[in-house]
Amino acid sequence: MAMIIVFSVIKELLGRKIANDIDYPVFLATSFIAYNMFKAIALKSMDAFNANKGLFVYKQVKPIDTIISRSLIEVLISGVITLIFLFIGWFMGFNIECKNILGVLLGYIWIALFGISLGIFFAVIGFFYENFKNIIKIMFLPLFFLSGLFYTLDSLPKIARDILIYNPVINFMEMIHGNYFYSLDTDYVNYTYMLFWTLIPMFFGLWLYKNSEKKIIMS
Amino acid sequence: MIVLENATKFYKTKHGKKYILKNVTMTIPSETNIGILGRNGAGKSTLLRMLGGIDFPNSGKIYSDKSFSWPMGLSGGFQGSMTGRQNVKFVCRIFNRSEEEIKKVIEFVKDFSELGDYFDMPIKLYSSGMKSRLSFGMSLAFDFDYLLIDETLSVGDKKFKKKSKEALMKKIEHSNVLMVSHSMNDLKNICDAGIVVNDGEITYYENINEAIDEYNKLNKE
Repeated sequence: MAMIIVFSVIKELLGRKIANDIDYPVFLATSFIAYNMFKAIALKSMDAFNANKGLFVYKQVKPIDTIISRSLIEVLISGVITLIFLFIGWFMGFNIECKNILGVLLGYIWIALFGISLGIFFAVIGFFYENFKNIIKIMFLPLFFLSGLFYTLDSLPKIARDILIYNPVINFMEMIHGNYFYSLDTDYVNYTYMLFWTLIPMFFGLWLYKNSEKKIIMS
Repeated sequence: MIVLENATKFYKTKHGKKYILKNVTMTIPSETNIGILGRNGAGKSTLLRMLGGIDFPNSGKIYSDKSFSWPMGLSGGFQGSMTGRQNVKFVCRIFNRSEEEIKKVIEFVKDFSELGDYFDMPIKLYSSGMKSRLSFGMSLAFDFDYLLIDETLSVGDKKFKKKSKEALMKKIEHSNVLMVSHSMNDLKNICDAGIVVNDGEITYYENINEAIDEYNKLNKE
């Protein structure tokens, strides 16, 4: 919330607009909610095993349940925040009209799945190598600026665009923005690339998990 | 009946493998209350955890057609940031109880554990005695063929000890216990048979007194 206000003010001072019919706070809110949800799912999953160790004495509880439940909580929280933001936006008279609500929803669900698949992968490796967690946490810092949260790919110079397009998160943001606003499109989004980024960590994460599930319960 | 088939369990340490079970094949008859004896670090708790299905042998199999409770130990079993009440609710839910049954269980556990206001405070504020009160009270609310008890009887004040022993005696009329304890009196009172764990070997004694004698011999060495 504070972030959105700060960035809105900066943008206002700079006095440039993405497009005439877009209210910048709405633009920020759509991407910030998605990004924060993604980040929370991926990072909080890493601590799920250790935090819920006590519950593994019940044989019904498998370690992956802790990741699933944490992710569900994050999704629900994001849903509530979205509703609050929509209400605030409507109250303050912003243009909150949505072009393709199903597309936006798909974007949100997909990025949550992406977060879960990374989360499982990180959690299993992080359980055995404590330092891995710290590396991941550091890697998430620049991601905030590189993920198209407060700009569109189209507004960047070509060279930056060609590099940033390889960031999977920016694809998600473009997808959400492109489906939300009438004056933006999803031309840069590479759905196959996003699918690879979702499925490959999911596959590897689950494979590693399956192999180490007993070790995690035992420890 | 509990069957161990070529079960091997070891921990890797700097000085090589430390065996708890070394290729053990044996059958433990059912319908008896069994005490597990052994020196510290011999692997009593690990054996209990393996029977409870939350630890696994490195090779071989351990299986049984009976149902086991979770191992009631001094630590674990709770999510620290949730209150006692919420933890009880959680356990009821994973054991598939209906909302009405849950209410009954909560009332029962609250009465039994005598935690008072602490029942609605996060578990991380509990002392270990309080945790085992809660854990023990909770296990009485469910029906298992075997209760796995890991020294929980030896904590708590005199009054609670007496109360929990009475409750346990009532409980074992229709279910059995597998317990780890260093209190010979408790073992004699509650258990019929004994298992001695030592150096990767486990031996079954049909009479608890024989097991205690064997255990005393081990301690003298």
